[in-house]
Amino acid sequence: MNNRNRTITRRVFLRRSASGAGWLALGGVSLAGAAQRNANPFAYDLERVSKTDPKLVRYEQAGRFVCPWPGPRRLAVGPEDHLYIAARKGVTVLDGEGRRLQEIALAAPARCVAVAADGTVYAGLRDHVEVFDPKGRRLAAWESPGRKVWLTGLAVADKDVFVADAGNRVVLDYGVSGKLAGRIGEKNKERNIPGLIVPSPYLDVKMGPDGLLRVNNPGRHLVEVYTANGDLESSWGKATAAIEGFCGCCNPVGLAVLPDGRYVTCEKGLPRVKIYSAQGVFESVVAGPESFPENARAGALQDASDGLLGGLDAAVDSQGRIYVLDLVAADVRMMRAKA
Amino acid sequence: MSLRISVLLLLCSLSAFAEQRFPPPDFVETNHQLPATAAPAARGLYYQYLDVAVLGASLGVATWLVLGRRSRRGVVALSMFSVAYFGFYRKGCVCGIGSLQDVALALGDSGYAVPVGVLAFFVLPLAFALFAGRTFCAGVCPHGALQDLVLLKPVKVPSWLEHGLSVLPFVYLGAGVLFAATGSAFIVCEYDPFIPVFRMSGRALMVLAGAGLLVLGVFVGRPYCRFLCPYGALLKLAGSVAKWRLRVTPDHCTQCRLCEASCPFGAMRQPESGKPEEAVLAKARRRLAWLLILLPLLAGAGGWLGGRFSGPASQLHPTVSLAERFVRAGDTPPKTGVPTPDDLALERARQNPKELLAEAAAVGHKFRLGGWPFGAWVGLVIGAKLVSLSLRRRRTDYEPDRGACLSCARCLEYCPNELMRRGASQTSAGYRATSQVT
Amino acid sequence: MSDRSTSLTGQFSNPGAIPRRQFLRDGARAAALTGLGGLLGLAAGRSTRAGTVWQIDPQKCIRCGNCATHCVLEQSAVKCVHAYAICGYCQLCTGFFEPAPNDLNTGAENCLCPTAAIKRAFVEDPYYEYTIDEGLCIGCAKCVEGCNRFGNGSLFLQVRHDRCLNCNECAISKVCAGDAFRRVPSEHPYLLKTMSH
Repeated sequence: MNNRNRTITRRVFLRRSASGAGWLALGGVSLAGAAQRNANPFAYDLERVSKTDPKLVRYEQAGRFVCPWPGPRRLAVGPEDHLYIAARKGVTVLDGEGRRLQEIALAAPARCVAVAADGTVYAGLRDHVEVFDPKGRRLAAWESPGRKVWLTGLAVADKDVFVADAGNRVVLDYGVSGKLAGRIGEKNKERNIPGLIVPSPYLDVKMGPDGLLRVNNPGRHLVEVYTANGDLESSWGKATAAIEGFCGCCNPVGLAVLPDGRYVTCEKGLPRVKIYSAQGVFESVVAGPESFPENARAGALQDASDGLLGGLDAAVDSQGRIYVLDLVAADVRMMRAKA
Repeated sequence: MSLRISVLLLLCSLSAFAEQRFPPPDFVETNHQLPATAAPAARGLYYQYLDVAVLGASLGVATWLVLGRRSRRGVVALSMFSVAYFGFYRKGCVCGIGSLQDVALALGDSGYAVPVGVLAFFVLPLAFALFAGRTFCAGVCPHGALQDLVLLKPVKVPSWLEHGLSVLPFVYLGAGVLFAATGSAFIVCEYDPFIPVFRMSGRALMVLAGAGLLVLGVFVGRPYCRFLCPYGALLKLAGSVAKWRLRVTPDHCTQCRLCEASCPFGAMRQPESGKPEEAVLAKARRRLAWLLILLPLLAGAGGWLGGRFSGPASQLHPTVSLAERFVRAGDTPPKTGVPTPDDLALERARQNPKELLAEAAAVGHKFRLGGWPFGAWVGLVIGAKLVSLSLRRRRTDYEPDRGACLSCARCLEYCPNELMRRGASQTSAGYRATSQVT
Repeated sequence: MSDRSTSLTGQFSNPGAIPRRQFLRDGARAAALTGLGGLLGLAAGRSTRAGTVWQIDPQKCIRCGNCATHCVLEQSAVKCVHAYAICGYCQLCTGFFEPAPNDLNTGAENCLCPTAAIKRAFVEDPYYEYTIDEGLCIGCAKCVEGCNRFGNGSLFLQVRHDRCLNCNECAISKVCAGDAFRRVPSEHPYLLKTMSH
């Protein structure tokens, strides 16, 4: 009888251990599944390129203030180092500490702004330019240059106003009276101009101290230098996510020129502001992606009323301080060179 | 939900007056035309109506096969058709079992509109059950048909276990309605073990469960139908008041008990063997009285328990669990590194915490409203089960329990009188002789 | 046996018992029918003739990647979709290439898509057109993230209704980190990004 008991107990033992192992396996499988479910195996990883070497950062933040009106797009510095911000409701004028000085309300969102030496304000709406005197009274509203117009940049010289039309991929040359005088940047084989490639509405134009125009060519990752006649003098720029180039598909999105001819460039996607020499050699970083955490994820959380919210803009005052406008956080930072 | 839709619509309408997007480049050299974004259409609406028509026709055919033709072979053929059409072709969705959740959601959420086809899937089998018994279960429901087709060696489940487990479908029904009405989850769909079989893919756990139930179903008749199916609980209630019932024997019952042995689902009920003595009856009546008093107490206790249950149950709702995580996270800064989906959800919560918390509070309120009726329902069901076990049924013949009978028509193949009626019985001469004596 | 049956029928041929039970049963059936009818009325008042299907709102999608892993189908019914009119046709498309590609070619180390579902075709200098092969796409949203992060956001995820089984409750909708899933009428089953947004 003992033998019979042992055979039965062995069978029972095997059966029980098999079912127990089965239950354990089931539990293990479901636990492993639950643990793995949390991570995204197809995550888009920017970790490698989004860290800035702190040794390259030569500027520090000296001030920060929120834009008074929502939806700011471009920044300009006028005479007396006042800041002009083009926003959804119009143009606001602030002093260097962010105190409101003046407001110019507009019927449509202002997309770009530039100020002449005498204080005349040129505000670019989507399809035309409006001119205001220093007190904010409207002087003129220029005609729209045509169809598919999307103005995103303005620069003022003595007798010319240069308007960057991203929609038609061209920089228009207006006289101060508002008459169209020339077109700059269009593809032209004879003049060896490759043409402006503008995939997103971020075409900027700035006047340099040498009287030459600086225009960004985002699709080709270049900064181009033109004469007022439209001759391409030179261009520089590299397409790379590394710190010395322009990242992503269309960068730089904003330009500013320091008094000594060096460039300040702004990029979107990996929001960073950098300094290049007058010949286009990378020098230093003003602010890296770590300084703009909201802006870095702007593409992820969009406003339903406007597809593209990201980007930065920069402007330089007479003392070489750089103001950086964050379009997502809607604030302006004042950056000063480190001692 | 409706508030969110209207806000979104408002935003969209506002933006209609706002901007056009930045135009694409001009392809002047090649004059390239931009292709259109493909938009493959969804399954046509008439297909939904076709499914309802097939359902109605199948129900009619099943009813005719069981009550009219009394043919097991016909039911098997219909079962195979149902497994093929409703099962593998339609992948088991939408089914009557899941449709009860849509109806629950429509009652609990004023913004949700039940599609007419889904409503038909809920109503038609119940309507048929009210008149003809559970003919839906016979050969129309693909889940039941699948289990029926794999039932090869039926084993009798001990009656205490059967009665105990038969409470589960009602509890599952209550839970399914609670979670569906609050918009948390369709747990009946999520934990349906046969859908992965029909889709031939699914979560590992559910595939194993489906396979396991099918293997079990080779021996234990229709385990899901009898012990889990929440729609079956409704059908049981409807079938128990059915107008026409399946009568096994065509004329008089010879008490041979062959039908009872043949029923794999334990649905055959015995006739009364004689009126019990007065003393036994009195004791039974006293027990019944106690149970009837216990019934509302059970319901009340269940309701109280259900109220306590509503808090943790509400965690099943994704908004509530996100709100909980948001509150627990507090002010901790976002993790560095690549964000997981949970991190992204938390970030979204931080963008608009007020709306999220308000929504979570609304869901919690719904759960508090629904928790105690659910608990009371469970208590009521347990009490009703105990009461029903103490009731005396007056039966002269062996006949199927109207609620539990799945109309599979197996019993009809075994009843000697039925076989005699068909003229198929080998020993018909012997039985004819016996009946001549009477 | 026959004696038993006749004695049983004889004992319980009380005419009063059977009609009462039948009456109760008929009453319960009538009540159930009324209940069903009431339910029908309540639900039908808010029912829709149209079916409803599941769709992703591209404005709310935050590219968590759950679409690829949580669909009940092995290859998710969610696919990346391209709104060509919004695309910039860039040579260096950040939805096609890794953030820091070695070279602008279709080498696997340069491409973002884990299944090479996005195809690149030259149009004219320097424009390239990008199309999605839905048979390869798994709906992981990696290209969508790249496009939305750096570019115009012309790539976005949508539930494709020639593949979707239209489950009663979409398994992805429960885990969507952006709460982007909603039911839409089956006649207009897409929420595409358009030129006017």
